[in-house]
Amino acid sequence: MNSYKIMNKNSFIKTILVLLGVSLSLHALAHHVLGRPSYSLGEDSNTPPSMQVETQIGDYYVTYMAFPAFPKANEPGRVNLYASRIDNGQSFTGKVTFSVMDDSWFSSKIETIGSQMSDDSVFRQGFIISEDGNYIIRAEFESGGEPYIIDFPLRIGEPLPIGPLGVSVAIIFLILISVNVIQRRRLQRMKTGRHHAETE
Amino acid sequence: MLSLDSFKLKTEGMMMHPGLSDNWVSVVLIFMLLIIAWSLVGKPVAYRPRHISLRKLPFIGQALHTMVTRPWVLLLFRFMFVAIFLLVIISGLFGTPIAERNLATTLTWTLWWTGLIIATYFLGSAWCAVCPWDVLATWLVRLRLWRRGSNINSFNLRVPKSIRNIWLASAMFIALTWLELGFGLTVSPYATAILSLVIVILAVLSQVIYERKAFCRYFCSVGRTIGFYASLSPLALRPVDQNICADCKTLECFKGTEDIEPCPTHLVIGRSQQNTFCTSCGACTQSCPYQNVNWAIRKSGAEAIYHVRPSWDESWFILILVALTSFHGITMLPVWEAWISQWAQMIGDSGQLLWSFSSGMFISLMVPIGMFAFIIKLIQFLLSDQELEFKRLFALFGMAFLPLAFAYHLAHNLNHLVRESRGITEVFLNPLGSGTLPLSHHEVHLRHMNPLISQDILFALQAGLMMFGFWFAIRILLQRMDSLAITHSAVNTVIKSGMLVLISGVSLFNLWLLIQPMVMRM
Repeated sequence: MNSYKIMNKNSFIKTILVLLGVSLSLHALAHHVLGRPSYSLGEDSNTPPSMQVETQIGDYYVTYMAFPAFPKANEPGRVNLYASRIDNGQSFTGKVTFSVMDDSWFSSKIETIGSQMSDDSVFRQGFIISEDGNYIIRAEFESGGEPYIIDFPLRIGEPLPIGPLGVSVAIIFLILISVNVIQRRRLQRMKTGRHHAETE
Repeated sequence: MLSLDSFKLKTEGMMMHPGLSDNWVSVVLIFMLLIIAWSLVGKPVAYRPRHISLRKLPFIGQALHTMVTRPWVLLLFRFMFVAIFLLVIISGLFGTPIAERNLATTLTWTLWWTGLIIATYFLGSAWCAVCPWDVLATWLVRLRLWRRGSNINSFNLRVPKSIRNIWLASAMFIALTWLELGFGLTVSPYATAILSLVIVILAVLSQVIYERKAFCRYFCSVGRTIGFYASLSPLALRPVDQNICADCKTLECFKGTEDIEPCPTHLVIGRSQQNTFCTSCGACTQSCPYQNVNWAIRKSGAEAIYHVRPSWDESWFILILVALTSFHGITMLPVWEAWISQWAQMIGDSGQLLWSFSSGMFISLMVPIGMFAFIIKLIQFLLSDQELEFKRLFALFGMAFLPLAFAYHLAHNLNHLVRESRGITEVFLNPLGSGTLPLSHHEVHLRHMNPLISQDILFALQAGLMMFGFWFAIRILLQRMDSLAITHSAVNTVIKSGMLVLISGVSLFNLWLLIQPMVMRM
């Protein structure tokens, strides 16, 4: 009995270790990340506010800036990307390919928007997107024989907030209506049962 | 006075809140030494139950009596807070994503989350009475604004024994801290609104399944935090005349009446000395046929010292509170990002560094709890002849750490509140932040360097809070030691010293955090 328990415990720990190993190795192969955006306005800047994401991937610190911070459909926008090595601060000087895709679980369509060489340590990529929505800008480069794939969020136009609000209201009403129906049926059954008991 | 420069972290080129001044740190350290010396020779102060019912005060007594016994006053407040809550959700979903310009983030994280702890000290658990999560859920499920509602939308089941504890509240507290500090909820109006909606759904779900207010009693981490902190408050709902409650046979406060709901957390207010689970909902004040329940002023901390007896899960909650309040401070140290970055490189983490953050948070949680458990194990070993259970000792001494969490939580939050709430009126006038731009570096700097109260007053309050926390922690410790009735003086000294070292260690660490310059949040 005891050895069975120990074996179970061991296999559980092994499973956890294997899962952890797999998850770490997946991280090492492709650095597919989404950053946390912040919005800033430089003191001496005459440009519109920018959306900025800073992230750490493998050997690099990567900074992504989108201009303007709140781009609109059919209006030109630009992303700037800076990548510098964590160990010595040296800028990445290779080629970066930018592509765009819908930020959706069900869409796999990716469209390349251009490849850029470094211009004074900055990779600049212009874009015009024709429809409002949530998009992912993907930046890809290779360094030290390892591919770097970095995803950044980009919102075009005003968000459609009715989604979460509608879902919440729907969930609440679904719960309330279901319980209400179940409770009414239960009360009806109890009433009928009591009536039968009284008449018998 | 001491010079503490060697204890301060370097902050070149970073915009920071200045840390507590050396003079005040010296005052706190001297106070702590005096209290430690007193604790080694002192005995717990004998308990003299005393409270003054506000009902008995001239002028305001009658007005307050009308307020607490009539439902419309509370209803008015509830409407107001629900309206503000809905505005937060609308601002978060429809407004600007610039955190400092949107009401959802500024009101929730700068004003409410930081101000709530301050309000809890002065108003006890009053927030729970107007909490929009529960009010909305109650209105939706009970289909009434204030009278005893219908049960047709609820199964009214008893909460299963396995979850009749606050483990889920502890888990929710850890999850909220992770979302706040790791995921960056505080700088996302949209995510803040989504979280608010999710909590309303959870509160509805709880009321639909379980009887009374299981969400407030067992699952809500904010409610439980308020509940424990309220035990240090000088204000609580209490019987006006204890004798009336002692003779009462009908217990309307517990069972409710035809019009008024029963106590949502199963309390008999007249016979309870512990208000930890009171939500100040007003059911007892309105249902009591003798109108014998009202707000009362009592000795600050008396409930925590003499009456609160946390169970095993509640003691864990308190220790998690201690660990996570300090963790808040750690994540705002200027070196935190560098630590996490190095750790991320070691484990191959990337992006938002959530794995690195999560492991850092886990370590911060486990270190103080592990140290506490070790000392409890030691006490158990020393008192092996008394056959005391580990869980019982863990629960008994866990309470001593509550004032430390409260004091640091308040001191830390005060800094946020007085430095980051400048400009809040602009946000109220334009809650969605329409047409606004992000704050420039110059504006951010000006806001942070011009706190709502002078820096000297802020430092004095922070130092006072640290002393308050330490003083009450020691008093709780002495009271708990007394309750163990240890006859062997050497064993008594060893146990007391062990706990003193841990309490002092936590206090000194929190004081060290306060000395450090703090990274600005918004």
